[in-house]
Amino acid sequence: MLELKHDLKLSKTREEKGRINFMSGIRSYVLNDMANSMRSVWDSEVEPKFVRTNKRRPKDGPEVHRFIKSNQYFKFYSSMRVTAQDMVWQSVMQPLDRERDDLKRRARKLEERKLGSLHLQKDFLVPRYASAIDVHLMPGNYDGEYDVDDLAAGALYDNGLAVFSFGLMGQNLDDIGQSIAGFVHLKYPNFKPKKILDLGCTIGHNTGSWKDHFPDAEVHGIDVAAPVLRYGAARARAQNRAVHFHQMNAESTDFPDQSFDVVFSSMFLHEVPRKGIDKVLSEAFRLLRPGGLMLHMELPPNSQLSPYDSFYLDWDSSYNNEPFYKPFRDLKPEELCRRAGFKPDKYVQFVVPSIGWYGEQVWRKSVHEQASVDSDKTGRLTDGIRWYCFGAWK
Amino acid sequence: MTAKKPLRRTIRGRRPVFFQDPAIDKVLAMVVTLGSEFWALRERVLAMEALHVRQGSLGSGEVDAFEFPPDLEEKLAVERREFIENLFRVLQEQSGHSAEQVPTIKKAPRKKKRR
Repeated sequence: MLELKHDLKLSKTREEKGRINFMSGIRSYVLNDMANSMRSVWDSEVEPKFVRTNKRRPKDGPEVHRFIKSNQYFKFYSSMRVTAQDMVWQSVMQPLDRERDDLKRRARKLEERKLGSLHLQKDFLVPRYASAIDVHLMPGNYDGEYDVDDLAAGALYDNGLAVFSFGLMGQNLDDIGQSIAGFVHLKYPNFKPKKILDLGCTIGHNTGSWKDHFPDAEVHGIDVAAPVLRYGAARARAQNRAVHFHQMNAESTDFPDQSFDVVFSSMFLHEVPRKGIDKVLSEAFRLLRPGGLMLHMELPPNSQLSPYDSFYLDWDSSYNNEPFYKPFRDLKPEELCRRAGFKPDKYVQFVVPSIGWYGEQVWRKSVHEQASVDSDKTGRLTDGIRWYCFGAWK
Repeated sequence: MTAKKPLRRTIRGRRPVFFQDPAIDKVLAMVVTLGSEFWALRERVLAMEALHVRQGSLGSGEVDAFEFPPDLEEKLAVERREFIENLFRVLQEQSGHSAEQVPTIKKAPRKKKRR
C-alpha cells in the first residue's frame, strides 16, 4: 500500500488498509489490463467493423467513442472504472471521518514551525464551474466544508489520490512536480527563477517540488478552495517546505504585474471552462517577468493524438464528472499561448518521463531526446507514464 | 459555519450507466464492493495468523474449533449490518436513502432496541 509519510497521514485499521490495497489493485487492473484488452478488442473487432461499414478508418476520438459504445468490453471497462473511481474516495472516508478533528489539531501544531504562510479570503466566491459538481466523482469536491477551519477535503484528496494513482504519482504524490521542475532545472541550467507560482495547486503536492529544485526561490500556490489550501499549508510545513498559499482565482490574481519568473500548473486547465482558460493564460502572461516561463502540465491535446488515444483520454469527460476535459483537449496549446500574448517562437512543449517509473537515467536523457506526444503512455495514468507539458517563455 | 457536519459521501452529478439494463452496472458495483470487503478480510486473517504463528500461540485446528463469545457475536452482528448496507449502497443512493444515514457502530444498537 502506498502510505503517505507526512504528519497528516491518516491511521487506518487492518480492514481499511485491505480495502485501500484492493482499490489500488482494481484501479491498476482497469487502467492497465482492461485498457490493454479494450485496445485489442478495438483493433481486432470494433475498428474492422467500422471500416466495413464506413469504408474508411475513424477520423477522430468522438467517432471511436460512438462506435465502441455498444461493445460489451467497453461497457465492462467503463462500469468498472466508474465504480472504482467512486470507491477510491469511499475507501478513505472512514479513517478520515474518525480523524478529522485530530487533523485540525495536527495542522495547528504544525503552524509552530513558522514555515511559509496561508492567506484565505473571507467571503471568497468560488467560481460556479469549480463548485457545482463533484469533479472526478470526489464527494464534497475541493471546496466542501463541514466545520470551522475544515481541511477534510484536502485530506480526502491527498489520501484518495494515493489510492487512485496506484503508485504512479510517487510516494509523496509529487511525481509530476519532481519530474517537471527537475526537467526545467536540467534543461535550462542558467535559468534561476526567484519567484515561482503554482496555479490551482490544491494541496500543494506538486508545488513543493519547485522548492526542492530551486531552493532559493520563493514559491507560491493559489487555489479557489479554502479546505485544500489549509491542508496544503499544513502538508508543506509537515515536509519542512516553505510555501506560501493564497486563496485566489487564477483568472485574476491579486499579484502585481511581472512578479513571477515561473507560472506553473499541473492537471489544472482541464478543470477550467474555455473562457476561463484564456483568462488564466493571459493572467500568467501579465504575472511573468520578461524571460520568465509559463508551463502547464496537462493531458496532451487531441490534435496531437491518434483517434483511439483521443477517445481513450476523453473518456473522463463523458463519465468522470470532468465536463471541461474534452473541450480543453480540443484546443491547440500553441494557439492558446499566442492568444495570451506569448510570441509563437517562444512556445515550448515537452514529454517528460515519470522519474519514479523510469528512473533518473531515462528521465535525464529526455532533456535531449524527446519521446513522441502521440503514444498510449503520454498523459495516461498507466504503467510507463510520461507527463506532457506546454507553455512559453515571455 | 459553526456546527460540524457529517462528511458527504454521495456524489453530485450524474452516475453514468453503460449497460442496457442499468441493473448490471449496479450489480457490478456490488461485486467490486464485495471483492473489496473479501480482500480486506483476507488481509486481516493473514495478518492474524502470521502474528499467532510468530508468537507460537496457534495450534493446528484451533481456528476451526473456535466459537465466538457473546460480546464478539454482538459486535459482529452490528458490523454485518454495516457490511450489507455498504454492499448495497448503490441501491440506497437510487432510493434517496443517502449513505450519510447508514448507522455507525455507535448508532446501530439503538436501532436494535426498536425492533
